[in-house]
Amino acid sequence: MGDDSYLGLQGVDAGYGRTRVLQGIDLSIGKGEFVALLGSSGCGKTTLLRAIAGFALPERGVIRVGDRDVTRLPPDRRGMAMVFQSYALWPHMSVAGNIGYGLRLKGWKRPAIAARVAEIGALLGLDGLGGRRPAELSGGQRQRVALGRALAIDPDILLLDEPLSNLDARIRLSVRHEIRALQKRLGITTIHVTHDREEAMVMADRIVILDQGRIAQLGTPEAIYTRPESAFVAAFMGAENVVRLDVVSSGGRVDIAAGPLNRAASLRLDRPAPPSGPVEARFRSEQLQLRSLDDATTADVQGIELLGTIEVVVYPGGEWRHSVRIGGASVLVDAPEAIAPGTSVLVRVPVSGLFLFSAPTASPVGGSPASTDDTAPVREKLSA
Amino acid sequence: MQRLLGPLLVTPALLVILVLFALPLAASVIGAFEVDGAAGLGNFTKAYRLYTQDIVFTALIVGLSALLVGLLSVAIGGYLTLGENPRAVALLRWLYRWPMFIPFIVVGQVLRTFLAKSGLFNTTLISLGLLDPMSATSYLDWRGIVAAFVWKQTPFVALMVSGAMASLDRSTIEAARNLGASRLRILVEIVVPQVTTTLLVGLVLSFVTMMSVLSVPLMINAQTPTMITADIAFRLNTYRDYGVANALGLISLAITGSVAWFYLRVNMRQAQ
Repeated sequence: MGDDSYLGLQGVDAGYGRTRVLQGIDLSIGKGEFVALLGSSGCGKTTLLRAIAGFALPERGVIRVGDRDVTRLPPDRRGMAMVFQSYALWPHMSVAGNIGYGLRLKGWKRPAIAARVAEIGALLGLDGLGGRRPAELSGGQRQRVALGRALAIDPDILLLDEPLSNLDARIRLSVRHEIRALQKRLGITTIHVTHDREEAMVMADRIVILDQGRIAQLGTPEAIYTRPESAFVAAFMGAENVVRLDVVSSGGRVDIAAGPLNRAASLRLDRPAPPSGPVEARFRSEQLQLRSLDDATTADVQGIELLGTIEVVVYPGGEWRHSVRIGGASVLVDAPEAIAPGTSVLVRVPVSGLFLFSAPTASPVGGSPASTDDTAPVREKLSA
Repeated sequence: MQRLLGPLLVTPALLVILVLFALPLAASVIGAFEVDGAAGLGNFTKAYRLYTQDIVFTALIVGLSALLVGLLSVAIGGYLTLGENPRAVALLRWLYRWPMFIPFIVVGQVLRTFLAKSGLFNTTLISLGLLDPMSATSYLDWRGIVAAFVWKQTPFVALMVSGAMASLDRSTIEAARNLGASRLRILVEIVVPQVTTTLLVGLVLSFVTMMSVLSVPLMINAQTPTMITADIAFRLNTYRDYGVANALGLISLAITGSVAWFYLRVNMRQAQ
């Protein structure tokens, strides 16, 4: 966000004891922006949020809000309020007591606190619950009380630590949109930690993908979804089907020779091509073409064509999901019509949905194409 | 056979309780209401006439000790939970439990030499110039007993309280810090209200323990006023007066019972 950076991190390292969890984090967030920190567990996203909040002091680096250096300031002097994963409501206080506590600490008078608590209650649909204890509330209501407690003090920055992970799946979907709408209405700068890709996609203006304490990619949901810069990000954004190919690159062109498990292809990429050699081709299950080999005509499509056999077919709703064995591994392919197991098929992956990355040199590269033999995730997804 | 097995297994334990616990207790209770072979309240009127002052003294001393134990345990538990200097926290964690392993009689012995008129406490104050040697007095009265009780019982309650504090959801503490609460406010307004039940259990158990200690009042302050335990021992050893001793025992039981009742009431109110 360049010059209008409101919250800025420069070269932040943080960790616990001798374990370094974050390494060299640079991040710039604009005023009123909604940023999601996305990553699998242990990637450092919560540590990053805690460093921003002031609960974990960075070992190196600077954190700024506006032109203030807040790196060493205590949590309450940063103009930030946090919503905790467990909600962290105080069980011995009423809903009104919880929401009004921050104002009590600021020395507000009782009538003013009551007015503000009522205002927040109305904003979040908590009317009439002021006298209840947290134990008497539903999960969704507790979540809103936690949000209300953070919003009551009118913070400049709102920090959300997986606030939806304890909610039922159905409630979670609506709460996503509620929080996003509220954030837009209040124009409050928000950082949201989550491990749920879809949640990050629908809520955030920009997504920061963290991998092993580093920023793997940063961008709008669309940019990250359509132009992942690494195999990790591609996998995280759902491109979990993997086949190994050998390519010859020249300029924007990539040529793939025919092999026992793929047909020859010559692709023109709209993004930088990987260097010649073994590559990892990643693609999602959607927007593929699946044809029985018998009636597959050679179409002049930009993409690769893989040869395999149907293993299993299930119906998760919408399209049929096929598990297709290609060489040593399986990929998942969605198609409008079911094809019987045992059928030899052709899988067409259009170039728009194909992500090529240099294969890690250390891992063995089998025939062309050889797939990873890590089929477990594929099976899990199939049954999900 | 199957149906008999259950009761059969329970019988030995039940017998032990009946013969060694319920029976002696019942005998003491009955004995308290027996004067020269006839039922009556004579033992209680005598106990009341002779020992009212000691009964009040006992309740006050044990009550005051429990209060101080509570305050110190919360302070220790609070520092262990909220302290920010890891070395100080580790030192305190290592140190505070030691008195638990020292018997009451030894505590009495230690404090007797420490708090006497020319004991270590006064001589230290005098050598530091904080006390005039002429005005030095012995602390071997109610203050000595309270000091011994607090010294001995604080670690026990602090252990329970700090355990309960450690198992709190840390984020309830961080949420308060995030909103700007000082550590003292977090302790008083966030942490202690969440461990009240544990604190009360610890204090009730401590109260009962302190009510039954004989060695400390005997070692530190055996002259009047003294504690009920010393009086019971005196009635038994000197006069073989089981009636009044039993009556005094029942009075102790009534005092501890009222504390237990208070605890149950608080618990019931919290459960609602």
